[in-house]
Amino acid sequence: MILHTLNASPSSIAFMDCVNIIAKDDALVLMGDGVYAALADTDASKALQDTDARLYVMAADALAAGVTNLAVAVSRIDMDGLVALTETFPRQQAWY
Amino acid sequence: MTAAPKKTVLIVLRHSPYGSGLAKAALDAALASAAFDQAVDLLFIGDGVLQLQPDQDSTSLGMKNMGRQLASLPLYDIDHVYVDAQAAARYNMDLSKAPLHTRQLDDHEIRQLMVGYDHLLGF
Repeated sequence: MILHTLNASPSSIAFMDCVNIIAKDDALVLMGDGVYAALADTDASKALQDTDARLYVMAADALAAGVTNLAVAVSRIDMDGLVALTETFPRQQAWY
Repeated sequence: MTAAPKKTVLIVLRHSPYGSGLAKAALDAALASAAFDQAVDLLFIGDGVLQLQPDQDSTSLGMKNMGRQLASLPLYDIDHVYVDAQAAARYNMDLSKAPLHTRQLDDHEIRQLMVGYDHLLGF
């Protein structure tokens, strides 16, 4: 079980590396430029949903970017939510 | 003394609005050019198209709203704005709601556009 954080846009190598590694029991938090991977009906959000990992987006970052049309599998969280996630996962991987 | 002929400038924006300072720098360059009465147009390619995402609200980041600043550019006579259609489609963007009126171009048209300017300024 890994908690992943992604802070890079879907056109980045970091995004592709993340998608290749992430698996079913993992969770992914999209933050910073990573929030664009949450846009509904894009290749990026489809690739993430196909991993069957739990998907989250930092609400404040999505709001700033105008990312309001979220893919259905993605849930908004705030900083408290992120901290709570870190408590339930034994390890964390940052992609940026 | 006759004035030197005006040089045309195309500002090429390739980065997302809040991930770095580049989008803000591009906007400053555009406004500075306009202030000195230079002819300046904008081209958004790749992740740069994300600057045109509608409904940006950056108050929680403590940063200026890039979308709103772009919307003010026509006041400075910056009216020609071009967008990488393929990148906009990749991000499922509705450009009719973008803060600026844009013209969508394919890769070939982008190339044609770029060679038509005296100078290119990349951000």
